This record gives sequence, structure tokens and C-alpha cells, in this order.
Amino acid sequence: MRQSESISSLIKVANRLAKNYEKEATAPENAPKVRIAVLSNFSIQHFTKILRYSLDKAGLRSEIYEGEYGGINMDILDDSSPLYKFAPEIVLLLMRHTDVEVESAEEEIKSLGILWDKLSGIPGVTIFQSNFPCPIERPLGTLESQYTWSSLSLFREINFLLTKNHPSNVKILDLEYLSAYVGKERWFDYTAYYLTKQGFSMDYLMDTADEVTRMVLPMYGMTNKCLCLDLDNTLWDGIVGEDGPLGINLDPNDPIGEAYRAFQGYVKALSKRGVILAINSKNDEANAKEAFEKNPGMVLSLGDISCFRANWEDKASNMSYIARHLNIGMDSIVFFDDNPAEREIIRTYCPGVTVIDVPNEPENFIKALDQSGAFEWSAVSPEDLKRTETYKANEEREALANLAVNYEDYLKALEMRGSCRAVEEAELPRFAQLINKSNQFNLRTVRYKEAEIESMMQDKNFACLAVNLQDRFSEYGLISCIVLKSGKEAEALGFDNTDIFIDTWCMSCRVLKRGVEDFAFIRVFEEARARGAKRIIGEYIPTKKNGMVAGFYAKLGFRPMKDPLNKDDAFARILYSYEVAERAQPGFRGWIERL
Amino acid sequence: MSREEIFERITRIFREEFDDESLVIVDETNAGDIEDWDSLAHVELVLSMEKEFGLKFNIKEVGELANVGEMADLIMRKLA
Repeated sequence: MRQSESISSLIKVANRLAKNYEKEATAPENAPKVRIAVLSNFSIQHFTKILRYSLDKAGLRSEIYEGEYGGINMDILDDSSPLYKFAPEIVLLLMRHTDVEVESAEEEIKSLGILWDKLSGIPGVTIFQSNFPCPIERPLGTLESQYTWSSLSLFREINFLLTKNHPSNVKILDLEYLSAYVGKERWFDYTAYYLTKQGFSMDYLMDTADEVTRMVLPMYGMTNKCLCLDLDNTLWDGIVGEDGPLGINLDPNDPIGEAYRAFQGYVKALSKRGVILAINSKNDEANAKEAFEKNPGMVLSLGDISCFRANWEDKASNMSYIARHLNIGMDSIVFFDDNPAEREIIRTYCPGVTVIDVPNEPENFIKALDQSGAFEWSAVSPEDLKRTETYKANEEREALANLAVNYEDYLKALEMRGSCRAVEEAELPRFAQLINKSNQFNLRTVRYKEAEIESMMQDKNFACLAVNLQDRFSEYGLISCIVLKSGKEAEALGFDNTDIFIDTWCMSCRVLKRGVEDFAFIRVFEEARARGAKRIIGEYIPTKKNGMVAGFYAKLGFRPMKDPLNKDDAFARILYSYEVAERAQPGFRGWIERL
Repeated sequence: MSREEIFERITRIFREEFDDESLVIVDETNAGDIEDWDSLAHVELVLSMEKEFGLKFNIKEVGELANVGEMADLIMRKLA
């Protein structure tokens, strides 16, 4: 069990929160408010309260719709059901094996598909579909795995098909994994099922709710991007400054050395999926790097590390340096250090950083990091899988920058090529990911779910533009998103229906200062002209993190504009406009060649 | 554990569940006597008792209970 508190005390806390939500909630008042509907054929009254508690702990406010007992189909298939009035952003379908009434996995997926289709009529909805913990009873005994027609094989196949065939607005809640993790013999509680129709043992209500919360967080931009590691006794056994690069223990024939190597292997796997790696260590830089270069037991190489900070400064200052250098916020960094004193320093002086409680035994490092759920993303995109490569190419790029006489020459020498065009279906997950992850280069910080973007793509009053970039060193993929509103969508915001409103403009900070924004603006201008627009209107909504784009529209040649809706300055939006008719196409094309 | 002691602990659980420090529980008390004693509260009471006394009830045992007195007797039997 991951949750160590007893369920009866958790229920008491959750009940208290449910009774007096406004007073008891700890998530900030301005935190995103998640509207989530929970539908199930078993009893969920306790689950919904626990879920609200779990979301609150994670910093999210929520409103929860609780489906009728035994009423999944009723709630979904009846157009007049209160579910549709509730207008959820997320619908969670919590199921168990007893919900499966058909004989084949294909039929089950088909009948779930009918429910998903119907639910997808809710604008912007994301569906969390649980898979099915395989039951532990085996009518065929040890032969259950011998035949594809056995009951065990049926549930395994359904679970596999769910993973394989779910549409992009359906995310799978992996209860099969969770039940296996805690032990199925404990997960299934027949007494609770027959007595009060609990779908699984109440002991795991919190674990299940936390799993849902982990899926919700990245939808609201709450994700970590970087793993920041200590070196001595974290990545290897020993102290490189004293033991020397060959004296530290990473011996595959030694139990401790093997455990450290396994941990490095896990970290390497994180890096391969797009987690940025950084080092924050008290060491001489040369000594520390020597271990990477010379010790044959090292699994990680210097090329895996995007920012290497080894010196005698305090770790909090190094952490700020790392955040600045990588262009990411402190609150997207995860810190892993075997030394509790250093962890305490980071907790105190770098409050946004996620600090992992590192156990004393190296053999449990992987489990601590893995079960922390620190790297929950809404998707893994091709860009993520290429990220480390990009950071490596950065070094070569820096070398080039040192050669170039001035910045302009440098940009020219990069031989950048790019495109800015309507986002394609296949790019949707990455488009959504970038919109939800970008905090710094983000003009309005509006978050959209995949499903919402999909409906905007179909709507002629919207244009969703994706910018892709490559240079001589690497292929960045999709690095900037722009969403434009025109016609009645612009009108709804108080503008003319001949205006184009820039609803979203965000960009990955990996490609700052490359002229990507000038390049993309040409396309925005063309789009405006093609739509017969008279003005392009941009808005800047300041947040704690997006100060870098405060002067963005002014730099592009926009002029400050009065808010047509709010004459009162205190409530007025920060608006800028660009007259399309008066001006010729922006002449400056930058150094990016159009693909 | 004596029946008095069990009853004392049960009373504490009831007072906590219904958030009422003056609640008096007797052998004959049943769901009809306490306004908030609904099916949800019932689940919570059973969970709290299981945790308090470190035991698990089965469906027959729970189904047969008519009042708090029988609950105390059941716990006593199971602890014996």
C-alpha cells in the first residue's frame, strides 16, 4: 500500500473537507477548479470525497458530480441526465470485471466506444476510463493462461485493447497496475462488495484517488521537467573527491555497486523519455566529470546531463542557476539527494522544487523516485523522446556561437528551417502538451485539453497554428502554438467580427532568441489577411512566470489599445492591436527559411 | 477486554462519527435512534470498529446486527 494512513482516518478528513469545502480547502483560491464527473456501477460516495481531498492536497480545487449508483449507462445515454448540465471537463468511468457482460474483448471495447462517443459530445471533455483488474478466481486453475478463451485471458485482452485502441480524448486509469501493486488478494474485498457494493477494498480508495489526481495535474500544466541529482552516494557509492574516479563503487559484481548502476539505468530511462537531467553537487567540477569519463561502471554519460553544476556554492544558489540556464521554472524541478540536510535546504530556500524523500538504502532509490509520481505528463511526444539529443546539440551550438562574430552571424550559421501552419491531427498530443506546459513564453496562459483543441480545429472561427523548427544540429519538432479567434468568437470577447484575436501564443523556451516569433507572425498576418481581418488583437495576461513576454506585442510592432469592454483601467485587459489594412506584410523574415 | 471497555470504545467511535460529544449509546440503540445514521455512516462505523478492535467482520455477522448491544457482543465473541 502506498498510502500509509488508515482509511477510516482519511475518510474523516475527507468528510470534514466535503462538509465545509470553502473553509477547509488548502488549495489556493485562485487554483484551477476541476469539474469532474465520477460514474460507476458500484458505490462511490466515499471515493468522490476522498478524490476531492486528494485533488485539494495536490493544489487543485474541484467540483465533483457523483453518478447514480449502478447508473453508468443511464447517466450517459439519457440526454436529459444531470451529467450534461454539470458540463464536466473530465468524466471518470470507474469499472470492475463484473461490469463486463460480453464474451469477447472486441465487443467490450465496442460497447465502451458507444459510451465514449456519447460523452465526447460534451465540449472539451476528457474521459478517464479505468481498465479492469483481472479477478483472482481461476475456474480453469493453472490452465487460465493456457487458453485465449479463459476468463483471465478475456480481461487481459480487454486491458490490452484499451491501451491499443482508445481515442485520444480517452486516458486509461490503470487499476490493473494499481491492484497488482498493492496485491490483488487485498484489492478484492468480497465482504465490502456484497455488503455495500464497494468495487474494491476501501483500503485503496486513497491510492486510487491519488492515481486519478496524477492524471489530472498535467492537464492543468502542473508537471515537472527536470531531474536534478546529487553525485556522491546518490549516483555512486563513495566520494569521488576522496576515492578518485576509479575508487568510487560502481562495480557490477558488488551488490552496492550494482544497485547504484541500476539507479543510473532508471535515470537514463527517464532521460530517454524526455526528462532533462541536471547535476547539483558539492565537488570540484573536474573531479566530478572525471568519474563520468573514466569509470567503466558509469551508465550515465556527460552527454545525458543538460546542466552540470559541481562547485562549492550552496545548493540553493546552484538550483537557481540551473533553472535559469535551462529556462525552466523552479517548480518544474525534482531534486534527488541522499543528504537530508541538503534536501532541507532546498525545501526551505527553493519552495517550488519537488524534493524526493530519498531512503537510506540505494536499492530502494528507484522505488522512491518511481512511486513519487514526480514525472506525470499528459503524453510523451516525439519531441520529448528527442529532447536530450537537442540539449546535446546545444553544446555544439554554443561552440558555434563562440566562433561567430555577432549574434546575427550566429543565427545565420545555424541554418534554421521552419514551418508555421495549421496543426495536424497527428501533432495534437504535442500541441496540447506545449499549451499546458509552457509557463514563461506564454502570453495568456490559457490551457486547453486535446479534446477542446480538436473541436477548435473543426471550427472555422478558429485557427490553430503549429510552428516546427530544425537547424543544422537538431530537429526540434513542434515548438510553438498559436490559437487565433475570428468572426463571432472575436465578437464574443468585445471586438469586431472583422478582428482576429490571438487567444494563445506560447513557445518552448528551448528556442528563445531565434526569431521564431517574427517568423510565426508573418503567418499570423497572412492568416488575418486571408480571413479579411482589419486588425490583429493581442492580449498579455501577466502571471508570476511570464514576465519575459510583457513587451512581446510592442516588439512585434503592435500598438497599445483601449479595452472596448472595460473603460475602467483597473479591470481593463492589456491589449495591443496591429492594423492589417494599413500595413504591408511584415518585411523582416528573420533567419528561418520556410520549409 | 471487558464488555464495559468495549462499550466505552464503541461510544467514543459513535461520538466521533456523529460529531456529538454528548451522544449516549445504550444496548438498544439502533439506526432509527440517530438521525444521521445512514448507509454511508454505517460503512464508516463498521470501518472504524474494525480498525479500533483489529478485526474483520463478515457479511453474515454484519447482516444480523439489530442494535449496538449485539455489535458489542459480536466484538466480544470475536476477540475471545
